[in-house]
Amino acid sequence: MGNRRTYGPNREDPVRGYADTAMEFPRLLALLLIVLEWTRPGLPSPLRPICDLRVLNHFIKEARDAEVAMKSCREGCALLEAVTVPQTTVDFDVWEKKNTQEQTHEVQTGLWLLQQALSLLRTSVTNTALHSHIDNTIRNLLSINGVLRSLNIQEYTPPATTVGLEGTWRASSATDLLQVYVNFLRGKVRLLLLDAQACQQDVS
Amino acid sequence: MTCDHLSRLLALYAVCCAMCAPSIVQGARDFERKASMLLKAEPDNPKCFAEGMKDLTCFWEEDEERAGSVDQYSFTYTYQNENSSGCPLRVVPAAGGKRLFVCHLNKTRMFVQMDIRVHREGVLIHNRSLLIDLVFLLDPPANVTVRTTGQQGQLNVSWLPPPLKYMDDSMMYEVIYIPADSHIGRVEVAQACSELILRGLQSGTKYRVQVRVKLDGISYNGYWSAWSDPVFIETLPAELDPLILSLTLIISFIFILLCLTMLLSHQRFLIKKIWPVIPTPDSKFQGLFTVYGGDFQEWLGQTYGGLLLTPAFIYSEECPSSLEVLSELSLCPTLSSPPLPPKASKALTAFRKDDKGLRKALDDREMVDRADSTLTDGWRPAPHDHWLMDRLRAFQQHPIPSSQSSLLESQDAYVTLNANNHSEDEHLDDVLEEALPLEVFFNSRKTALCESHSDLGSVQQSSGSGRLSSQSSFEYPNHTLMPKGPGYTYMMVADSGVSMDYSPMSRVEDIGKVVIYANDYKNEILPLRRPFLVRQYPINDDG
Repeated sequence: MGNRRTYGPNREDPVRGYADTAMEFPRLLALLLIVLEWTRPGLPSPLRPICDLRVLNHFIKEARDAEVAMKSCREGCALLEAVTVPQTTVDFDVWEKKNTQEQTHEVQTGLWLLQQALSLLRTSVTNTALHSHIDNTIRNLLSINGVLRSLNIQEYTPPATTVGLEGTWRASSATDLLQVYVNFLRGKVRLLLLDAQACQQDVS
Repeated sequence: MTCDHLSRLLALYAVCCAMCAPSIVQGARDFERKASMLLKAEPDNPKCFAEGMKDLTCFWEEDEERAGSVDQYSFTYTYQNENSSGCPLRVVPAAGGKRLFVCHLNKTRMFVQMDIRVHREGVLIHNRSLLIDLVFLLDPPANVTVRTTGQQGQLNVSWLPPPLKYMDDSMMYEVIYIPADSHIGRVEVAQACSELILRGLQSGTKYRVQVRVKLDGISYNGYWSAWSDPVFIETLPAELDPLILSLTLIISFIFILLCLTMLLSHQRFLIKKIWPVIPTPDSKFQGLFTVYGGDFQEWLGQTYGGLLLTPAFIYSEECPSSLEVLSELSLCPTLSSPPLPPKASKALTAFRKDDKGLRKALDDREMVDRADSTLTDGWRPAPHDHWLMDRLRAFQQHPIPSSQSSLLESQDAYVTLNANNHSEDEHLDDVLEEALPLEVFFNSRKTALCESHSDLGSVQQSSGSGRLSSQSSFEYPNHTLMPKGPGYTYMMVADSGVSMDYSPMSRVEDIGKVVIYANDYKNEILPLRRPFLVRQYPINDDG
């Protein structure tokens, strides 16, 4: 009805009716909104902080399952070469003396080292039954990085080389590697998440 | 001065020792308790446990006889990728002649493998690898508080969690509650919280509540702690829920209303069932009990006349259809009849003869009646019926002397006929049974006979209507002898020593056939026409 054009008595130019003029503004507004939506800057929205430690508990359980599976493996589950793994030792006195940034850096380095080691393990292990465990472990590791990102922890820039890094060990067997991985999650990663500022603000 | 200083120092030291003694003693007791628990729970040697975040206690047990001195033993531990370290040992006596060698560390590292070796004189006796964060043995929760909530069968248990940093969300608690008079308790588990509400408890019962703690085993692990000191509390006594009480009252009230409504709606039915009405004959006899007070004779006298005008009243009920013979033969000597005069006897004898003939005629008639199965042809007189009428006339002409009247009266046999309601043609015989066809032998009264004779015709005419008209057509020699009663047709048959056959007759001419039922008052409606029973009455004729 609004689009109907009425013609004058002499078939002259169509006379614009009242409805036509009234609909002009909504049309322009709709067009404007569509254009703005398309051209919206693609900035990612801030992530909600993942403060529930049950996520980490779940990762720890799956890592423990992988460790048990690796212990029972007899063939095709050897590391081709020694890998650098983070130290998992936690001395509470020492840990509490460190500031958040140091703790964060320590955790992020360790996660990066483990990621590299597990990738190497994935290629080393020929036992197909363990592949699912290792893949799951690598996936969880990436998820932990996402959890850290959600806590407004700055991005980690990996070092150029792992040689000479402080606070690292060498692991020569798959079992040791997975044990380190489990201990690392239970210890330092968990302590960092417990003390995260973003989660502290929510609690208080 | 120095002596004073020394003495003061000594005194101060003594006081400090006195103050610290209880805590030391308590610590020793705690260790003994934990050691006894671990001796049962842990199979490996040495048994190690951590009480806090930074300590570790390891021990092993040896018999008193075999154990050497402390110096013979060495306890060394090595963290992963680190150098080994030693731990000083101490000896603690234990129950049952045992000795405990204890190593205590105040600085530990977690999340790293620790290797422990125990040597006795250079010989390795114990070897164990463990992670300290997996061997926690905590103290039982403190400040266990139990209080009642506002609701029935509930208790609120709260406690203080162990003061361990970073481990609050890894704690697992177990609450046990046992009724005071029982040994079987129930256990509730609480995760990472310091408060628990117990539900489903008995009301008004005393309970014993205890709590213990353990790490959940994901990040940290350990052994169950000892039970906390018991707390006794009594639950709230049982009380009636006001909602349930009010609902019960409302439902019972509605139920009572429904029952009352049912009872009132079926009042009559119930009364009829519980107090059944005893049938009384009041309705049949109007005014008998209300007006005459049960005097039947008076009532009969009042209502007899009215009955003639209200035949419907009598016919409303079923009337018995049987013939009742009321015999009033008197055996009293005062009533003995004088001998009959010869003439009378002669007349009687003659009549006897005639009677025999008559009887024979009647028998024939009876046979005819039996053969005849239809009754709808009315009152066609048969040839021998006229003969019977003639015989009656003859009898009338030779009446029995009146002196015999009293005799005959006294010896009259009353034939009563019950009124019958059937008026249909097919039941005509029933009607006729009662009504007529009687051979009526009157006494010596001629007029009676004449009247009876004359009335026979009227009887014939009124036979269709039945009952009462026949009653009216008969003349009773003695009015007092007329039996009273509604619906009954009475005829007096003179007992003249003559035996007659009485049988039901479909026609008025079949006189002499009368049904005689001895004292049969019940309704015995005869559906079919059949001859009446023939009975002979021996007549005591003293004459």
